[in-house]
Amino acid sequence: MATQNKPTGFANPWFQLALSVAFVAVYELLLKMGATETAHIAGARWAWTGISGLASLYVWLGIPLIILSLITWLHVLRYIPLSIAFPISQVVHVLVPLCSWLLLGEFITSLRWCGIALVSLGLAIVAKPVARLEDRLEEKL
Amino acid sequence: MTTISLVLVLTALIAFVAGQLLLKKAMDASNVGGFASRKFVWPFAAGIFLLTVQFFLNLGLPQRYDLSFIYPFQGLSVIIISIAAAIVLRESLTPKLVIGAVLISVGIVLVSLT
Repeated sequence: MATQNKPTGFANPWFQLALSVAFVAVYELLLKMGATETAHIAGARWAWTGISGLASLYVWLGIPLIILSLITWLHVLRYIPLSIAFPISQVVHVLVPLCSWLLLGEFITSLRWCGIALVSLGLAIVAKPVARLEDRLEEKL
Repeated sequence: MTTISLVLVLTALIAFVAGQLLLKKAMDASNVGGFASRKFVWPFAAGIFLLTVQFFLNLGLPQRYDLSFIYPFQGLSVIIISIAAAIVLRESLTPKLVIGAVLISVGIVLVSLT
């Protein structure tokens, strides 16, 4: 069953899933900037643990967003099966390149467009039965 | 590709999948027994620990190894989590979910590689 006693409004798990994805998209960008910034200290002894990333302000800015994304994700897990919620959360792999293209004017290669199309198609296939199930549940109520 | 790089990438992948499964188990338990029950606290703590390990590995791995080596494993996580959720958590896995997960996985690899 996709939902059980599903909360409405701000606590709606589908809204929280969207929020979680948005937080992930922003913090991934910040962590990427942080990792690039601290790449020069990669020769340090503990660099393989990623701990050197903490030298970057971007990583510290990303940490509150990681916590927020985790809280919203935990709320999602209370109501939506993992095998549905996790694939849908991967929409972030479409959002990040599209935002970089639209906002930052980054170039997208044809291979990357193919990837974006495949992820979108996969998302549509996963989300469609869920949408139908939700409709049926609402009809019953 | 060295043995150590493969071990680190696989450790990150296993920690991520196991962490997600444990968190889902914890949140399911919180629906039944609340946030004070042991069935919530232990899987929750273990899940957070594993996701922290994975977080730092994922921060460090791209500094040391080629992204084209790391990303295919990240793509795999969608398929593995869907299958693991079906086996461990007994979630129903329809053919449509499997096809969707495979397409998303392949798509992630293509998006990440270029």
